[in-house]
Amino acid sequence: MLKVSGLTVNYGATSALKNVDFYAYQGEIVGLAGPNGAGKTTLLETIAGFLKPREGEIHLLDRRIDGLSVLQRRMMGMVLVPQEGNVFPDMTVRENLDVGAILSHKDIRERLIDETYQLFPILHKRATQFAVTLSGGEQRMLALGIGLVSNASILLIDEPSTGLAPKMVTRLFETLDAIKESTGKTIVLSEQNIGVTEIADRVFGIEAGEIRFCENTENLDSEAVRDLYLGK
Amino acid sequence: MNLDAGITGIIMGGVLSLPVLGIAVIYGMTGITNFAVGTIGVFCTFMTWHFLSQGALLGILVGLAASFGIGYVIQWFLLTPISEKGGDSTLFFIVTMCLGMVFTGFTRVLFPRPDISLLLPRMGTVSIMGVTTSGLKIFAFFFALSALGLIRLSERHTSVGKSWRATSQNLKLAKIVGINTARVFALASATGCMLAFVGAVFWAALYNVNLMSGWNLTFLGFIIAVVGGIGNIWGGMLSALVMGMVMSYSGHILGGMWQSVVLYCIVILVLIIAPRGILGSERSL
Ligand SMILES: Nc1ncnc2c1ncn2[C@@H]1O[C@H](COP(=O)(O)OP(=O)(O)OP(=O)(O)O)[C@@H](O)[C@H]1O
Ligand SMILES: [Mg+2]
Repeated sequence: MLKVSGLTVNYGATSALKNVDFYAYQGEIVGLAGPNGAGKTTLLETIAGFLKPREGEIHLLDRRIDGLSVLQRRMMGMVLVPQEGNVFPDMTVRENLDVGAILSHKDIRERLIDETYQLFPILHKRATQFAVTLSGGEQRMLALGIGLVSNASILLIDEPSTGLAPKMVTRLFETLDAIKESTGKTIVLSEQNIGVTEIADRVFGIEAGEIRFCENTENLDSEAVRDLYLGK
Repeated sequence: MNLDAGITGIIMGGVLSLPVLGIAVIYGMTGITNFAVGTIGVFCTFMTWHFLSQGALLGILVGLAASFGIGYVIQWFLLTPISEKGGDSTLFFIVTMCLGMVFTGFTRVLFPRPDISLLLPRMGTVSIMGVTTSGLKIFAFFFALSALGLIRLSERHTSVGKSWRATSQNLKLAKIVGINTARVFALASATGCMLAFVGAVFWAALYNVNLMSGWNLTFLGFIIAVVGGIGNIWGGMLSALVMGMVMSYSGHILGGMWQSVVLYCIVILVLIIAPRGILGSERSL
């Protein structure tokens, strides 16, 4: 479904990604694990179309997409939930979700928003509140909500658990798992929370811009993951 | 207080608020300070004047279409590509000044006349508190007010308005959710140029316009917008009315030569006291 090969991305003279290979099959949850500054955000933003790779190719549904615009990739069903700046601050929660579902027909939009409200009842309660006045955790949920109402078939989510209470993190992972099971969406998730190994089908370890390992979670050596999180 | 000067001031302010609104719409959306807005408006006013002999409506429609088209095209093919490549405000200053020069030049080449005055229907006369003024002036004033109200309403309540607000608040996320932000930018630029054109048409009908009027309109528009809080539409309107009054009264009391001295001193004073404008900027410069 999604296939990244030989990807190299530079910021000016320094390279943030070096010859990265990465893939996700339809209906999978794929984790992207790595310490701060490893290149997780860089990889997701490049896949979404905000950064131009220096070398390498990105394929989505057997089509080469690294030359396409963000909008064209969106039309192919790909949506990114960024790590930061992921809500419209001076719009209400409801308006944020409306805009998130802007490509869908009105009836479908209502349904998608209802479903999101069921997943995050707090958003329903705060529907008329401006996003900028939400707590950090609530904003995260809204950001995720915007991603979910988009009706995308592949979701790229950049560190969704940051700033959430441990209990919420567990719930969030369960929710993502349930979404995958019920909708068959593909979810790529960058995470520093070890809990990601519970729901992911496969985990890629990234460090200093290079992929260090790629393992199905059944045979994942949790020592290796821990080492990576602690940055050794 | 002289009521006559007061009414003149309010109407002047109302007419001026149109290019101010145009500048505010463009800046609020794209973050670009477009110094060509006034000259484009005046260029299109000369077009209206050219077609006026074949009917006022046709003339105005031609001008509206031209200003919309020019605004759209310069944003789509020039300004958006520059900002995608990371253009900064100095670059935009230079590029839009050049554009302004280009349209001043076009005006000179296509319409070799020093100045024009549009003969629009006067719409009778209206009497307010003993002062008689032409219906056209009142129309100009209410047109400006309703343009502002309409923009604000559609921003709040239509889905196009929502995508406009989304784009101005978070460009990256707007792209992610699938808004065609390049088109939103182009439409904002087109709307802004159209508003400047309408302002220039009223100006040409009430007073007159010449080759330099476009620049005057731009600078006055920018100064008024900054005083009101650039990007802040209500602030722009309020500031336009206040400035209209200032110009009218200072002209009336001290004579026309003092107008600009008084006006610009007040501008400097306001900006020392409130650097983000009287109602605050919705987007910092
Ligand atoms: N705009 C930029 N200009 C220059 N260097 C950058 C830029 N953005 C990121 N980098 C560098 O690229 C490297 C990878 O950054 P990236 O944001 O992808 O890491 P990350 O894995 O998402 O980290 P975190 O867990 O902290 O979010 C870092 O060394 C960072 O300093
Ligand atoms: Mg990151």
